Amino acid sequence: MELYELDLYHLMKGLEEKKFSPSEIFTSCKKRIDACEQNIHAFITRTDDAMPEHKEGKLAGIPTVLKDNLCTKGIRTTAASKILGNWRPPYDATAWKYLHEAGAVLMGKVNMDEFAMGNTCGNSAFGPTHNPNDITRVPGGSSGGSAAAVSAGYVPFALGSDTGGSIRQPASYCGVYGFKPTYGMVSRYGLISYGSSLDQIGPFARTVRDLQIIMSVIGQYDPMDSSCFRGKAPDFTSNDNPSIKGKRIALVKEFQSFTLDAPIAEAMTRTRKILEDEGAIIVEVSLPVVARYAVACYYALAMSEAHTNLERYDGVRYGYTVTDAAGVKEMFERVRSYGFGAEVKSRIIAGTCLTEPARCDEYYVAATKVRTLIAQEFSRAFGECDFILQPVTPSLPGKIGEVDDDEMKGYETDLYTLPVNLAGLPGLSFFTGYAGDMPVGLQLIGPRWSDPEILNAGAVIERHTGSPKIANGGVK
Amino acid sequence: MKLTSEQVNEIALESRLVLNEQELAGAVRYINNFLDMLDRFRELDLKDVEPFSFAEALECPLREDKVIAFTNTQGIFDESEHIDGSYFKVPRIMEE
Repeated sequence: MELYELDLYHLMKGLEEKKFSPSEIFTSCKKRIDACEQNIHAFITRTDDAMPEHKEGKLAGIPTVLKDNLCTKGIRTTAASKILGNWRPPYDATAWKYLHEAGAVLMGKVNMDEFAMGNTCGNSAFGPTHNPNDITRVPGGSSGGSAAAVSAGYVPFALGSDTGGSIRQPASYCGVYGFKPTYGMVSRYGLISYGSSLDQIGPFARTVRDLQIIMSVIGQYDPMDSSCFRGKAPDFTSNDNPSIKGKRIALVKEFQSFTLDAPIAEAMTRTRKILEDEGAIIVEVSLPVVARYAVACYYALAMSEAHTNLERYDGVRYGYTVTDAAGVKEMFERVRSYGFGAEVKSRIIAGTCLTEPARCDEYYVAATKVRTLIAQEFSRAFGECDFILQPVTPSLPGKIGEVDDDEMKGYETDLYTLPVNLAGLPGLSFFTGYAGDMPVGLQLIGPRWSDPEILNAGAVIERHTGSPKIANGGVK
Repeated sequence: MKLTSEQVNEIALESRLVLNEQELAGAVRYINNFLDMLDRFRELDLKDVEPFSFAEALECPLREDKVIAFTNTQGIFDESEHIDGSYFKVPRIMEE
């Protein structure tokens, strides 16, 4: 077995027992990247020219990659947009700072949908990333590069961000575990903003235990993010014998009539059986407001916040610019019109439209009120259950380049992921098995701050399904 | 209410985006489809519903009021082509 095939826990254990060295891990992962990257295109910027100086710490010598919307001091950070050009942040995102201080080694910055707006990893100024399980298919998005890198064995873990499913959906498409923590569990300082009240950083890995290891490093208070939890960090230590006996796990009544691809429907049935065999009690909860209004509510808020957050790209302070504009208005217009991609422009215009004084109450303020109803509905539901089991997406990944002209229809497919962000809940995208070559994932969600418990429940399921294998990455 | 291409163009310009004919046609279709989706909100009685906030956000956490050194100021200036000393330079906004 090659070192790149080992999961994070076994790499840490092997290093501790001096079975191999950090430089051997680095070399093995780099060779794997060299072998597959021409097929996958996960990277925007590689930083693996040479093994960096060894640091002590919990993750000493462990390679990783970061979604390219996480700031890295002195290293190009693009958010997959032309508008940031070759911008090199003057500081590190806190989540990366914690990993770096723990000794993790950065192999590079990976691809994403521009400013995290998309669910295919195809809305990137750097071209699409390919799914390592079948390179003709999308890896999902927006954190598609992070999911693909872990799936292909480039690195044992990666960070992404999740505003409406951008960790959970690509994790499911690529066949890895992806965790969207409770809003406030991980500092957002240094994450390039999309929808600030929805954005959350989280990890990808090939086992639940590896997610727990990473959460124990990044799930710490940070005074630089006022929305970050205060107080003692939760205990993410993996339980040797996790149990869900007696836990009430709910299916959502309103989702039962929605159409799912057969492998996903079958995975729901199999997983329900696993949970019952483990002593969980299957119940049903009703989420009618979520089912009917969450998609509209989410996009109204996300676009409104995006339009405000993206106002800062003016060509003055960083990134792409022009120097021959006749005035400031012309400079702004030329920089923004060239620098942003089509999807980002559409969302900025929509956000501007919804927040104009004439329409603000009707759309933006109404959406903030609908969000209250959605959060209340989840709160009531978690009075009746401990976790909710549901799909991540209604279908398996599509082919690269397939375009649906009806964007709203595409947005509707995010119904299973984005309500979690509206209510600030934790969500685990977990591996259940394969349909042919393609992995099939499902999702467990829990009440706010139930992050350690939800990961333990994921570990119970993993005991039955086994961990995903490393994808072939287009290499026969 | 459907927005016309003139209205969408005006909104785009407010966002400092200049759209070509094809982009504008796409934006008009996109915005109007999106507003159709949002019309669902009319089915709900939201009169007495408060706008959303996280319970934890009701108390505004403040950092201790002390100066923390930021050592990489030059790193910020190095990333802009519009620098004059320790100032960002922007094109003239007022006529002489």
